[in-house]
Amino acid sequence: MVTSKNNAFLMDPGGVELFSAMLANVIKEVPVEKITHIFASHQDPDVISSLGLWDQALTTATLHSPWIWEGFIRHFGMNNITYSPIPDEGGSIQLDEVSLQYIPAHYLHSSGNHNIYDPKAKILMSGDIGAALEEPEAPLFVEDFEQHIPKMKMFHQRWMPSNRAKNDWVARVRKLDIEMMCPQHGRIFRGDDVKKFLDWFEALEVGILAG
Amino acid sequence: MSDSTNYFVAAAVIAAKLDRATKVSQRLSLTASNARVVVLRAGESAAGFRPLTDAIHSLADITVSSSKRINTIAATLSKTSVQMFRADRALKYFLDVYARAKGSPNLASLDESFERTKAEYERLSTLYRKQVKNLGDELSSIESELRSAVILKTLCETEATRAKGEYREAFISVSRNVESTAREIKELIGYSRRQVEILK
Ligand SMILES: [Fe+2]
Ligand SMILES: [Fe+2]
Repeated sequence: MVTSKNNAFLMDPGGVELFSAMLANVIKEVPVEKITHIFASHQDPDVISSLGLWDQALTTATLHSPWIWEGFIRHFGMNNITYSPIPDEGGSIQLDEVSLQYIPAHYLHSSGNHNIYDPKAKILMSGDIGAALEEPEAPLFVEDFEQHIPKMKMFHQRWMPSNRAKNDWVARVRKLDIEMMCPQHGRIFRGDDVKKFLDWFEALEVGILAG
Repeated sequence: MSDSTNYFVAAAVIAAKLDRATKVSQRLSLTASNARVVVLRAGESAAGFRPLTDAIHSLADITVSSSKRINTIAATLSKTSVQMFRADRALKYFLDVYARAKGSPNLASLDESFERTKAEYERLSTLYRKQVKNLGDELSSIESELRSAVILKTLCETEATRAKGEYREAFISVSRNVESTAREIKELIGYSRRQVEILK
């Protein structure tokens, strides 16, 4: 979650089963009415199936998500929240003093997918990119990049279908100044590990039946 | 009211049964039309049968239109019950948040959402009760209409015995059709009535 003076921007709020834990944690930080924006990087249930409940908690919020998923995401239940479609080429959103950018990450893994980049904090919220399959008690940060590779490899090869889209993303992200890259699952990449990840990912062949 | 998982399933089941009842009623119309053709062919010997075909027709019309109407009510009820379930579920989640974030100074900010959802739940449950009652009333009225089917069947049989030999068989089959379709509709209605009891 990113908070600005009057607004809170909640990213990939998660599945139905996590709703009360998520809202309880959010409420510890900000009052409910401050949550004015929700972002769903893509349509997956682990990203946004809690929408039907958020919709009853927040009546005036806006959901930002790739335009191609509007019809899909509505199935999670959306009567009050407004859908704001993000175009394929991305864009940005200004919340009081905070400015965030939508970085296109299509086909990684979802065919309509965006990352969030905070240029001031130099953080990239990379969604499923850089995600690792490991126990929930795993440490917060990547400690040894080489050792972390086996936990990421199969997921990236099996879930992500396009080398072209992948390399396109790597080129785009290389231009950003990133201090931390935070995937939705797994560990956070810091400093040099961000570059190591980009190099590794660029060289990786995806779209194969690995695993 | 019954537990939350059963009630909207029951409403959906009723809607499905009523959809079936509409189709069966349409078959009754067909029976009436067939009977009319036989009456025309049979001429004078079937004079007594003519008013009966009219009666079959009007019974068919009544059951078709009323089962369609009931079907609409049941479908609306099914929708209401799903919305009610959603509101009910949200309330349970909110209560869970109250427990989990206990002591947080922002917790009161959830009150508005909670109260609104609760008001919505109450509105839906009033609507729900109204729709259930409405459905029950409609079902009883179609049930009493269907009682005339038994009389119709008996009258048809009596007339059939008066008809000339070659037409007798056709009239007997008409009376059987009236009886069997009416019985089928009755069963569907009876089943729906028992489901409505669950909803209350
Ligand atoms: Fe995903
Ligand atoms: Fe994911």
